[in-house]
Amino acid sequence: MKLQAQNLTKAYHAHEVVNIEKVTFGAKGLEGLIGPNGAGKSTLMGLLTRRIAPTSGDITLDTGDGVNKLNPLKSHEVARIGLIKTNQRIQGFDSLTIRDSLRLAVTPPKKEGFMSIFAGERDSEEVEERVSRLIEAFPFTDRNGYARSGGEKKLVDILRCLIAEPKLLLMDEPTAGLPEDITRSDMDMVRKKVASGKMRVVVVAHDLPLIWEYCDYVHFLSEGSILFEGEPEEVKSNRVVAEKYMGV
Amino acid sequence: MDFLIFSLSLMFVYVGLAQLLHIQFGMTGIPNFGVVGFWGLGLYGTGVLYVEFDVPLLIAIIGSSVVSGLVAFGLASLVLQKSGQAILAATLALSAIISTLMITEKDLTGGVQGLGMIGYPFPELENRNLLFFGFLCAFVLLLIWGSAKLRDSRLGRNLVAIRDNEELAASLGKDTASTKRMTFVVTCGLMGVLGGLSAPLHQFLVPYLLAPSLTFAVWIALVLGGKGHNLGAIVGVFATFGLFDIIVETYVPVPAEQAILLPNFKLFCYGVLLVMIIMFRPVGLLGEDRPKERKKEASTPLANATLKEG
Repeated sequence: MKLQAQNLTKAYHAHEVVNIEKVTFGAKGLEGLIGPNGAGKSTLMGLLTRRIAPTSGDITLDTGDGVNKLNPLKSHEVARIGLIKTNQRIQGFDSLTIRDSLRLAVTPPKKEGFMSIFAGERDSEEVEERVSRLIEAFPFTDRNGYARSGGEKKLVDILRCLIAEPKLLLMDEPTAGLPEDITRSDMDMVRKKVASGKMRVVVVAHDLPLIWEYCDYVHFLSEGSILFEGEPEEVKSNRVVAEKYMGV
Repeated sequence: MDFLIFSLSLMFVYVGLAQLLHIQFGMTGIPNFGVVGFWGLGLYGTGVLYVEFDVPLLIAIIGSSVVSGLVAFGLASLVLQKSGQAILAATLALSAIISTLMITEKDLTGGVQGLGMIGYPFPELENRNLLFFGFLCAFVLLLIWGSAKLRDSRLGRNLVAIRDNEELAASLGKDTASTKRMTFVVTCGLMGVLGGLSAPLHQFLVPYLLAPSLTFAVWIALVLGGKGHNLGAIVGVFATFGLFDIIVETYVPVPAEQAILLPNFKLFCYGVLLVMIIMFRPVGLLGEDRPKERKKEASTPLANATLKEG
């Protein structure tokens, strides 16, 4: 699994937000992406999943079965290859219950064709079980209803991506706004998924202790460029990172 | 009696159109303001094929509905991924173009002089209008049943997700553009079928039938009944067309000098109703309905417990 960007730039008018010579994600298991506000983290995530069109540069995804060029693809095609991103801003489907939202994510698009109207049961036992298992691991106020608070909506967004089982998951500020205990069970679940070899994950976060604790490898982004990469310990003790980010 | 059957048949055409609009707008979020255009293509297509080319009625209806669907496909490819306002304007414009074409292409359509006659099938039967009404009812009920099945299906869930947040649905791997296009094409094709079925009702086709007032009547009915409810269309049409055009106009004894005011009074009432609904109950009379949850949902003890509590 290797998501690679080369000579990737994104400029809004004359203002360059991202300018990366070369970066590789997904090679190390659970990776972190950190950087000060305005460093271009979210833009980079958007570029990688084709939500934002780059000004220049190539993005390729090597899934092990072959190398895919992402530049000509639409965002749903990128998702189908196995690259999904959770959202920094709370996003959701207001008319779908928590269960339906997860069932939607777990159902492959080819099963949602015209003929599905005449299917006897909407979802298979297997789908129902996977959804129930995931929902019961978290303390939702109403497991059979709708996500109520912002925290629950955020959690549903993450669970939706986890249950879709992408090969590489990009998580943009996944735990901002979540209470400490849910943050932990959430990240534990992510780490378990990574350890089982099912997926690779990149986490964007400002919560540095979380990054140091959970990540195997950390990329440091500042002013649109990758300034430093390495193991958490190396990044932590790096002078540039300390100066630019932690302000010491 | 014949007039009542005619009115009821027309009412069921309205129910059918509103039901299809429920799928387009209520479920998928496509604001189609060109309902009369797709219906009109079916209507005039059937008329032209039947009168000018002696094509059997059934085949004429199928052929013209396919044309409706193809036109919908063309329009969908151009505008469906644009904003709601763009879709609204484009569909409204398309229906105006279709209405104008029916006037200008007089070699085929008879222009303003009209096109006729299109009779009911089985001319040897005495109660052929009743038989046709029965067939129309069955078709519309089939549409209502089908859209309930759609609501409870995987496709229906995907449509709702696309309506709520298209970008998010795409990021989960859903091909939102082609799903919307397919839904729009099929439902517009079915509007064409309803148009074709309306041809024997009207018997004589004039371009006046293609006025946008049909679109508005269907929209008002759907918004009134509940755009997000499977039975919203039928309730809305009964509360507007059924109440005013059938019951009041046919059965309420209005003095002749006041009868002339009725159409205006009807529009006035529609307007008041619509304003009240939008102010006090924007989801419509019936509100929204949700897909059926499966009965054996609770396969785990925990979920069982929550169900019992609720």
